[in-house]
Amino acid sequence: MKIMLNGQEREAREGETILEMCRREGIPIPTFCYYQAFGGQGACRMCMVELREEGQEQTRLVAACTYPIKSSVEIITESERIQRLRRTIVMLLARRAPDNPLMEALARTYSSPRLTAIEVEPPNCILCGLCIHACEEMGRTAIWSMFRGIDKRIGTPYDEASEDCIGCAACARICPTQAINLEEEGSTRRIWNKTFELVACQRCGKNYTTREELEYLWERTEYGKEKLCESCRKKTLAINMKSFQQ
Amino acid sequence: MQIEAREYEYANDYKVLIESYSGKPEHLLAIMQDVQKHYNYLPRLAISMISQHVGIPVSRVYAMASFYKAFSLVPKGKFIFRVCDGTACHIKNSATLLDQLQEHLGIEVDETTADGLFSIETVNCLGACALAPVMVVNGKVYGKVSPGDVERIINEYGGQSYASQHKC
Repeated sequence: MKIMLNGQEREAREGETILEMCRREGIPIPTFCYYQAFGGQGACRMCMVELREEGQEQTRLVAACTYPIKSSVEIITESERIQRLRRTIVMLLARRAPDNPLMEALARTYSSPRLTAIEVEPPNCILCGLCIHACEEMGRTAIWSMFRGIDKRIGTPYDEASEDCIGCAACARICPTQAINLEEEGSTRRIWNKTFELVACQRCGKNYTTREELEYLWERTEYGKEKLCESCRKKTLAINMKSFQQ
Repeated sequence: MQIEAREYEYANDYKVLIESYSGKPEHLLAIMQDVQKHYNYLPRLAISMISQHVGIPVSRVYAMASFYKAFSLVPKGKFIFRVCDGTACHIKNSATLLDQLQEHLGIEVDETTADGLFSIETVNCLGACALAPVMVVNGKVYGKVSPGDVERIINEYGGQSYASQHKC
């Protein structure tokens, strides 16, 4: 269907979100809590855009990541109003994640004033919820948001090593502000107050995962019981494909 | 989640209580409330058993327990003194009541005496502002409490030794 995007006519697929469409059209919209595989959460509010529905004079603000396009609407992704909104969001989130490069870059872009930092646990966490989502998608749900209000934070029950955590570090990798403490030393990994033994790739010898994650994957997938890191898995797959073709 | 060995002594009691509900996820809150009612807090073992019973991860059960003020994650006293600190009670000097309680029992808000008898909590409003300042002890409401009443109320619950201990 035809919609107006920043004053230009564009083709939108019915039901896709504004953000999906803008990403496809190459129009930048800043986000913290969005991850393509999970869809929008509407948590960080950075992706707010102006939307004018048919027959309406006024525009209203909607979160681009969760708003599905269902009729020929008009969308404005850059305006004084949106700039002001994002400036405020960055100003407030930067209090939680003051030293974060992404946050600093955005603070410059939107000339957000710098306020005194507040201490949060874990430091730099903006509570976007991506780590919870990643852990849930892994089928573990070892972490969740605990307590509420100003005390709300992400963690494991009782802040102790969780039986459900397999040390896969999906949470740490997806975190937009690198707030999750992942320590690796030699062949051990420490995350969420739990220590894991790392397993080496049988092909290149690099320590690439934890025993717990490997066993979990073996149990759940039909992969052979091989220990291959991501790049070696690709290489092996390519070699196998080649011999298959011949 | 570390569970102390002595908690397993109660495993059967928890089991009976938890299994009186069907294992549907929507019963989670009701089960938690029931356990809280019986034990005045949510023991670790019970949280883990509830999680298994309703098929919801421990992290989510714990998150829920930490979210609602009605749940406690640490053991509470047999008698819980809930002092209202809502606007009306605050103006009517609920702070003095709190001070008195804390002084007599020798504990702070949200703490429990070593013998497990008394706990002090504050609550934002009990909806009985006409009776301000209000205090509730295990469901019994005390209205228009004056600082002089505090000792008497503590004694009602067998806290004589506390009262005399801390008298100047």
